[in-house]
Amino acid sequence: MPDLVTLTVDDVKVTVPAGTLVVDAAKAAGIEIPIFCSHPKLDPLGACRMCLVEFVGPRGSKLDTACTVRVSEGMTVRTSTEQVKAVREANLGFILINHPLDCPICDKGGECPLQDQTMAYGAGVSQFVEAKRQKQKHYPISDLILLDQERCILCWRCIRYLDEWEDKPQIGLFERGGETVIDTFPGQPVDAATSGNIIDICPVGALTNRVSRFRFRPWELKKTPSVCTLCPVGCNLRLDERVHELRRIVARENLAVNDEWLCDKGRFLHQYVDHPERLRTPLVRDAAGEALRPATWDEALHRVIEKLGDIADTNGANALGGIASARVSNEAAYLFQKFFRALVGANNIDFADGSAVKAQPTGLSAIADIAKSDLIVLVGFDPSEAAPVLDLHIKRAARRAGAKLLVINPRRIALAKYPGAYLPVLPGGEAWDLNGLATALQAARAANQAGSKPAPAPTGKAKLETKVAVMAELRPAYDLLAAAKAPLFIYGPDAARGQLGKLAVTALSNLAVALGFGDRLAYVGAEANSQGARDMGLLSDTLPGHQPVTDAAVRERLGKLWGVQPPAEPGQSYAAMAAGGVKALYVMGANPAATVAGAEALHKLDFLVVQDLFLTETAQLADVVLPATSFAEADGTYTNLERRVQRGPQGIKPAGESQADWAILAALAEKWLASQTVDTGEVSKAIEQPDWKKKRRKIKAGPAPKPWNYPTAQAVLDEIGKAVPPYASLRWDALGEAGVQWSTSALVRAPRRVEPVDVAPIAAAPAGSFTLVSGPLLWDNGPLMPYGAEQVRKLTPTPFVALNPADLTMAALAEGRQVTVTSAYGNVTLTLKADASVQPGTAWVPANLAGAPAETLGAVRGEPVSVAVKLV
Amino acid sequence: MTTWQPVLLANVNRPNSEKITTYLAHGGYEALRKTLKMSPDQVIAEVKASGLRGRGGAGFPTGAKWGFIPKDAPVKYLAVNTDEGEPGTFKDRLIVERDPHAILEGVIIASYAVGAHRAFVYIRGEFFLGVKRWIKAIADAYQYGFLGKNILESGFDLDVSLHRGAGAYICGEETAMIESLEGKRGEPRLKPPYPAQAGIWGQPTVVQNCETLVNIPHIIGRGAAWFASIGTEQSRGPKIFCVSGHVNRPGNYELPLGTPLREIIYEHAGGVRMGRSVKAVIPGGASTPFLTADKLDVPMAFETLAAAGSALGTGAVVVMDETTDMVEVARRVMSFYVHESCGRCVPCRLGGHNMLHELDIIASGQGKRANLARLEALTRGIPGITFCPLGTGMCEPVASGLKLFRSEFEERVS
Ligand SMILES: Cc1cc2nc3c(=O)[nH]c(=O)nc-3n(C[C@H](O)[C@H](O)[C@H](O)COP(=O)(O)O)c2cc1C
Ligand code: SF4
Ligand code: SF4
Ligand code: FES
Repeated sequence: MPDLVTLTVDDVKVTVPAGTLVVDAAKAAGIEIPIFCSHPKLDPLGACRMCLVEFVGPRGSKLDTACTVRVSEGMTVRTSTEQVKAVREANLGFILINHPLDCPICDKGGECPLQDQTMAYGAGVSQFVEAKRQKQKHYPISDLILLDQERCILCWRCIRYLDEWEDKPQIGLFERGGETVIDTFPGQPVDAATSGNIIDICPVGALTNRVSRFRFRPWELKKTPSVCTLCPVGCNLRLDERVHELRRIVARENLAVNDEWLCDKGRFLHQYVDHPERLRTPLVRDAAGEALRPATWDEALHRVIEKLGDIADTNGANALGGIASARVSNEAAYLFQKFFRALVGANNIDFADGSAVKAQPTGLSAIADIAKSDLIVLVGFDPSEAAPVLDLHIKRAARRAGAKLLVINPRRIALAKYPGAYLPVLPGGEAWDLNGLATALQAARAANQAGSKPAPAPTGKAKLETKVAVMAELRPAYDLLAAAKAPLFIYGPDAARGQLGKLAVTALSNLAVALGFGDRLAYVGAEANSQGARDMGLLSDTLPGHQPVTDAAVRERLGKLWGVQPPAEPGQSYAAMAAGGVKALYVMGANPAATVAGAEALHKLDFLVVQDLFLTETAQLADVVLPATSFAEADGTYTNLERRVQRGPQGIKPAGESQADWAILAALAEKWLASQTVDTGEVSKAIEQPDWKKKRRKIKAGPAPKPWNYPTAQAVLDEIGKAVPPYASLRWDALGEAGVQWSTSALVRAPRRVEPVDVAPIAAAPAGSFTLVSGPLLWDNGPLMPYGAEQVRKLTPTPFVALNPADLTMAALAEGRQVTVTSAYGNVTLTLKADASVQPGTAWVPANLAGAPAETLGAVRGEPVSVAVKLV
Repeated sequence: MTTWQPVLLANVNRPNSEKITTYLAHGGYEALRKTLKMSPDQVIAEVKASGLRGRGGAGFPTGAKWGFIPKDAPVKYLAVNTDEGEPGTFKDRLIVERDPHAILEGVIIASYAVGAHRAFVYIRGEFFLGVKRWIKAIADAYQYGFLGKNILESGFDLDVSLHRGAGAYICGEETAMIESLEGKRGEPRLKPPYPAQAGIWGQPTVVQNCETLVNIPHIIGRGAAWFASIGTEQSRGPKIFCVSGHVNRPGNYELPLGTPLREIIYEHAGGVRMGRSVKAVIPGGASTPFLTADKLDVPMAFETLAAAGSALGTGAVVVMDETTDMVEVARRVMSFYVHESCGRCVPCRLGGHNMLHELDIIASGQGKRANLARLEALTRGIPGITFCPLGTGMCEPVASGLKLFRSEFEERVS
């Protein structure tokens, strides 16, 4: 508990923690002190002098800046004396005389602190008759942001943000005195991944958003508080809609999640919502070889249940499967798995990096814990590309709180430059190093506990591993781990896929347990709602609430809720289904046909349904395409990487006839149920009898599914509360605008035991070839990127392969050349790049580039892949 | 007329005065030898007892400043302020060019007193000769064992390095100087923390003006009592007055503090040119308010000048005779400040610009009464609300010009 200090602001007594700035103490007392340069998330500067107030002391009163002075006991502050008012008027006068006042064409007009404060504290009359001084107007400082130097009031907020949060001081001050301007440095546009935040915090319209410029006037917007669904951080944002178009996204404060920051993808990638290529009606294909044609919802859904029913009847339930994306809402994920488990009767459901990955069920203990950690261990996880706002928090911890970073990754990711250690590994080789470290730490611990008694000599394999652990290259990592008092372990899918990934995760968990921090181990998935998808049981082997399908008690509990129990047999995984394990596939938001091999496998299906926003490669192969809404067009909840369940309410009218994912599933289920002849005793809601229902399926006797009755997404969430115990209290209203973290008490079993790991080192690729390394890139060609604004699309690189500069020289290859990269799984043509962050002997091809080169080469299979690189 | 045998400037007119051999031949570095036999606390006590106040403009007691440096801090620095940018001031330049070892000896003693093992000399970029002389002086001091490891076998280590400014008045302000030393844009820092708590690279730092440091060897050598016997109650010791403007013999004059202004102008600087009368005097550099002719008997000391409505500042006396156009004086001084404003804070950056704008109009004869009213409002509005003293200081000449010579401004406007 910090010491408290009581002070008086304008006769109001207020008690605040010691160290609080007077401007914040005044706010706590309900008194607004006008500011320009001060910002709660930036270091004090004291440049604009707008916040000058009177401090009454024994020797009379003196003016000082409320944004730089910290409170002290008994302090008396006056914020509205004549003197203070005169100062504000004068300061505003100085600014306005040199401000272009082009408010009528300025995006900020209407939400501009300079306008607001001029109205509140200004002189009310203009004194200025001379010509304004001229500076450079609206020119790009990046693909995304324009700068207008005339409007800039030199508050340094943008400068400080990029320096203090991004550690990328890319805007600076030039010239001096009245000539001072801010600008970028020659040849270096702003490229920080969260640069757009400077637009939000600019107190004038000097920095404007190139994607939404001139597309709104603030007062015309309908503003909906929502969350971002582009990565698992789940930053809080606001949807600004006008005439059924999503005109702009701005950040929304949530101190537990994103402070008030967004990454540039979250801010600028939204035009896909209004994109002309959005699917607006259902499409059906009447026969193989024919084109997809528009259809009504009724017809399309009928086609789906008819086909699925037929295939199930002839081939059994196991011939049906569903692949979803973990971007969809909890409601959609829940109904998707329920559809398959309760109606189809199969556990064949999965998502990319779903059952293939051994994930810790609980995510990060809390984002706030990052700032409290002294060591952050990142295994196969690159926050700078995968979760930029988490990256901000980690950089802040490294720079402000002295946290060390231990980076274990095949590539020297950007965060590896901070104090700590970087441990290069080959993909799939994480387990070997982690196990070495775990074994050595356990041995050291045992020796410590044994006190004076000599530690038992390690035998056999353990002996080898102890030796490995103290090998020079592991030493820095070992020392960091041994010294850590509050470590945090985060791993991502790139280290956790497949059999080798399972070993790595076990070894990592052993490591955390050996240090006594089994509860500080977190998995962060790739897609925004990865955590929610797992919570909902969107997995072939796991039921809602993280229980294995083999758990009879849980099946029974769900059986009571659903009317039928889920099958006890684990279902088919994503890979198995996509490789032809099923005859009919229902794909919701995923794109398995992005690779040629994936598409070929889908050709063999008897029936393919795709539910998506766009006509993806997979949708193009489908028999029925169902148009779904984006996150902005439907209510839904999303669970972020710290288990925070957050609301994403509808902020804009859906495109065309598109419908929410959950609503499509609910409608489908109603039809499915209506087409069955089972006397349920209860009656489903939609029981009127259209033509297509005349054809009825007989189904086996047995318990009947309960009717699906979900008028709203909130109704689905209510049922989730019954199916997923930690969600029991998380009703829509209870979530509020900041969301609620689900409690782990009902569920968690943080690993407490050390499990033996049997692991061998990974061999480097044979001479002349390279080990393929892949991983996320912020500006990739992911599912929505192609439909972003031009400025956003430009940020995605043409597909490339990067080698270490030394390898490039050795192989006599030149940067910029076209090369063919070949693996056992396929070959692709890419542009060659040199990149020192790529380790010698490896070849870096980011995930999700156009044409899916990394995926084609087999990067996500969870096993080492060697590739040959040859000039075209 | 005060007779004063120069102490601070004793060497400057000797042939080869800048050479270490010359300095040594006249008792140089003796005070250092004495210092190294004292404890650092004794040195601080001696400087405190002397009553020495800083000569860089603010007049802060030097001994007290040294006393603020935390004893237990592992790393401490000394910074020597040789930026000398205050208009009318040219004393530090004379010493660096002609007697750099006098400063250096003060640097070593001060570093010893506060426990600094590294001193930075920040020198005004335009002092080309001064830079050369400093470099040579530092190199020679290393050769003679006055710098480096184990100075004069005392076990005390000190390294000195030199940093040239790039032409900004604001970099004379101590925190802006520190920013500049660190390689950043020259802008003042937020205080607190003061340099004594967190200065260069965040370490406790003593910033001291050149002239202040030149006093130190004499205080140690001759004793605090000697020093304290010179000057007035609150202004002890000798001071270099830089006299310029309409006098017959402009130049640096070392005299005891408390010497009357009239004596400095008429006895030492040879009186006003062509026998004219004094109209106004700037007593302590451009940021100090004007004195009118009736104030010429004021003793040149901190407290007496404050009582007379001005300040001792750097001791730069600028004399203006009866022919001086005070509007033009105000305009020129203003244009200096506007040029030198660092641009950080609104009132100085933009308010200063506005003031100059009004002054330009008034000086051109095109002004209206409204221009004058606006100018006056600005001189009242800006002081006290700027980030650093530069912005406040820039209003002084205009404000005091308006107060003391109002009719000249009024005659220009219609
Ligand atoms: C705008 C401004 C300019 C200054 N310029 C100088 C300068 O050129 N030389 C100097 O010694 N002090 C200058 N000072 C004063 C320094 O900030 C500081 O007070 C001084 O160097 C401390 O040394 P002293 O105590 O020995 O005087 C300036 C102060 C301000 C506000
Ligand atoms: S661009 Fe905006 S945020 Fe940046 S300094 Fe100017 S006014 Fe401040
Ligand atoms: S008053 Fe403000 S703008 Fe002027 S020099 Fe000081 S900090 Fe810079
Ligand atoms: S808000 Fe305090 S000086 Fe700018």
